[in-house]
Amino acid sequence: MSILEYNGAAIIAMTGKNCVGIAADTRLGIQAQTVATDFKKVFKVNDKLFVGLAGLATDVQTLDQILRFRQNLYELREERPMTPKVFSNLLSNILYEKRFGPWFVEPVVAGIDEAGKPFLSEMDLIGAPVYTDDFVVSGTCSGNMYGMCETLYKPDMEPDDLFETLSQALLSSVDRDALSGWGGVVHIITADGVKSRVLKGRMD
Amino acid sequence: MARRYDSSTTTFSPEGRLHQVEYAIEAINNAGTCVGILAKDGIVLASERQLTSGLLAPAKTSEKTYKLSQHSTCCVAGLTADANILIDQARLRAGRYEYQYQEPIPMEQLVEHVCNYKQAYTQYGGLRPFGVSFLFAGYDQHYGFQLYQTDPSGNYSGWKATVIGSNNQAGKSLLKTEYDPESTGELPSVEVALRLAVKVLNKTMDGTAASSEKMELFVMSREDTEEKLCVHRILTNDEAQKVIDEVEAEGAGAGDS
Repeated sequence: MSILEYNGAAIIAMTGKNCVGIAADTRLGIQAQTVATDFKKVFKVNDKLFVGLAGLATDVQTLDQILRFRQNLYELREERPMTPKVFSNLLSNILYEKRFGPWFVEPVVAGIDEAGKPFLSEMDLIGAPVYTDDFVVSGTCSGNMYGMCETLYKPDMEPDDLFETLSQALLSSVDRDALSGWGGVVHIITADGVKSRVLKGRMD
Repeated sequence: MARRYDSSTTTFSPEGRLHQVEYAIEAINNAGTCVGILAKDGIVLASERQLTSGLLAPAKTSEKTYKLSQHSTCCVAGLTADANILIDQARLRAGRYEYQYQEPIPMEQLVEHVCNYKQAYTQYGGLRPFGVSFLFAGYDQHYGFQLYQTDPSGNYSGWKATVIGSNNQAGKSLLKTEYDPESTGELPSVEVALRLAVKVLNKTMDGTAASSEKMELFVMSREDTEEKLCVHRILTNDEAQKVIDEVEAEGAGAGDS
């Protein structure tokens, strides 16, 4: 049993034309037993920035609280919102601080920077970041998600098209994974705002 | 006589006074005035901006009003450098409380924390007290909108309306006559409170013409949405000028009778 697979998760983030999308399943399980179907794994940092946390549920929730604390402090001191790049570096720093007793979370950061350009990053549990301009995935079925994204992704999708692609990629990936699924959410972030939708998928 | 007992914070004088603390309070009486007024639907904090030199770069941020958390803001009278330390302390305390309890910190607890920090500099270590007084304005679900005043001794009190900084006695005496919620049965609205605050600043700044560059007007209220978040708003120069003009018009009309 791997501790990162104890609760189960599936998170994908993708870039579109001047927009980003981030989708996650909503299952909370204790190994094989499903315990909740409305567990939040994607959190809003600010209007243009979301973070998805895949891994041990308690660390997912604690890290969300820690990140909100740090982001509040930043905004109070700097009197401006945190940009995705800065947030990603902060998160990487927080994870590496626990290098020898880590948070069991592998996060995904998705946002739009001040110029309106989409930003994605993904990191491992000790904060090693990866920056891509197409898609990032994290979770118990990451292999499935990589396959689906590689096949379905095309650059410069409009927000509605991005939503469809993200949803199909997520739904198909979690169907072949016992530990993820049981419902999904998708958030599409554009310069005008965020549109969040709940996905209807197989509840098994 | 006081000379022998005034150079150390950790020594009482024979009359039972802490002279260093009193000298710190004196320092604040030279600083720009701050007025705080509790309204029915919010709180008004009005501050005098003291421009020391025309060569100074235009201010990027306020020197008087600082946001501490989603539901609290303070304004400063005294040494800005000292204030910066305390403001950071307050922000950390509010953030840590909210992290621990997943709930916003009650106003009095936040004020008490800052005051306890100030008090330590009047009792330990051979360090001088902070030369800052604050007006804390905030909202919590237990007691609604609240206004607190603090001073270098670490003492604090809750107020319906108060003034700190230069000429605060003149300001307070004006408030005593003009701020009278008992007669109407309820607190004034934010608009009325804004005008009263400008009137008080006019009195304490007497001699200088009122203008939106010299007065910083801040309002805290709550949104009417489901989340009911607090709104922190420093009035723009135009909005502030409008209030100043309204007060001048009122004054000109009343003066003749």
